[in-house]
Amino acid sequence: MMLIVGTVPLKDLPLTIGKAEAEGDYLVVNGHRIPCTQGTSAMITAALVTTEYLKLAAPQILVAGDTGQGKGSREMYEYLIQNVASLSPQVLALHYCLPDMALTRRLCEAVKKCSKRPLMIADAASMYAAKAAGLATEFDIFTPDATEMAFLADPDATHPAYIARHLFDTDVTQAPKLVAVAYQKKNAARLLLVKGATDYVVRNGEILATISEPNVPALEPIGGTGDTITGMLSAFVYSGMEPHEAAIVAARANRMAGKLAKATPATRVRQIINQFPAVFKQYLCQWSEVCFVESGNAKN
Amino acid sequence: MPFFRKKPSFEGGGLVLFMDVHDAMAAEKVLKGADYAVKLVAPPPELRKGCDLALEINLVEQPGIERLLKEKETGYVSVLPMKPGTSGILEIVKITDFGDWLMVKAANMKLSFEKKSGVIVNTSGGGCPDIPYLHAEMIGKKLSEAPRPRDLGFTLCALMLDRALEESLTLWQGGSKT
Repeated sequence: MMLIVGTVPLKDLPLTIGKAEAEGDYLVVNGHRIPCTQGTSAMITAALVTTEYLKLAAPQILVAGDTGQGKGSREMYEYLIQNVASLSPQVLALHYCLPDMALTRRLCEAVKKCSKRPLMIADAASMYAAKAAGLATEFDIFTPDATEMAFLADPDATHPAYIARHLFDTDVTQAPKLVAVAYQKKNAARLLLVKGATDYVVRNGEILATISEPNVPALEPIGGTGDTITGMLSAFVYSGMEPHEAAIVAARANRMAGKLAKATPATRVRQIINQFPAVFKQYLCQWSEVCFVESGNAKN
Repeated sequence: MPFFRKKPSFEGGGLVLFMDVHDAMAAEKVLKGADYAVKLVAPPPELRKGCDLALEINLVEQPGIERLLKEKETGYVSVLPMKPGTSGILEIVKITDFGDWLMVKAANMKLSFEKKSGVIVNTSGGGCPDIPYLHAEMIGKKLSEAPRPRDLGFTLCALMLDRALEESLTLWQGGSKT
């Protein structure tokens, strides 16, 4: 099972766990309708579209309404800490939340009780909390953007708002230097997918691949286009792809979807996601060993 | 066998400094009353500004906490990261020109608007729970009419989005609006 965990911006949504279904521009889980916009819902939608294409089980989602005060975030993490061992997901993807170092530490302890350790992915504030608490090495995959990469490289910052100015000023071409520092300070997961004008796929400090085509600069202003990469990556890993391969394919697919959608800064993330099936159909076989799908699982 | 519930641990990363103990205790009451996780602690010597009592907070919640303390007229000196080497909050922004649109980036947050109309077309970046909420509230509104993240948000991500909005307003009011 793949489990995606994150907050959504609905004040009254209680802690909810279940399978999500797409319904137009909404996700529906246990009767609750969640708009597909920037954040966890974009990530879930991207993962859902990918698992549907690969004919895999839809992701389980654990979500809570939270508009910034943290109550939903805390309920979500507490539930996960209590239940992760019995849920024992194969892939655990942590996303938007109010970052809480102590809860993240307890979650990492709780994960050790799983019968088989899940593959751990963190993005957004779940990644901030993991780094701030010194727990980055407990994770398999982080998906930072360029500024978040600077945050991982700053040993003292507990949030990207507090990174040192010289790191914020760093050009994206300097990402390899930031990557090296982050690994040296043990502030990086085993695999990093650094999202930017050029995407970097890094494993244990070694840059395995860079992706810069197609070049669609307008993806950066569109809220949720980093979340979609993380959603696809999670689903590809769940399908059995090697993490670095999943990262490369997800980065390429996002760019190609942006190109097909003729993205501008005014494009909405749902318009990008709508292109994923066409991108998969045209390119997935070429980019990976996933070439056709029968009932059941993707075939290599 | 007696059952002891382990007291929840707390690692906040931020400190609110006060001039006197009374203010520190009043602030603790105000913040706990609003469900913030806080802890009274002694500030490290290099951060002492007056009394020897400070409040440890979750640094990410700094904007919401400062707003509440001001609303309740609870005096405090400043909010700082606990790690001595930490830089101050980023003050600089970066601007990218997309032709009909400008993107303004403050730390991890980006706001994009149409040059001609001043309408916000997207916000991106961040990872805190108020950001998708602000995204929904701000898109489609003119820069001058959009809600301020500093008023609606609670986290450092929201504070950075506010910086981006402020800079966008300056650019627009000095540019194509006129």
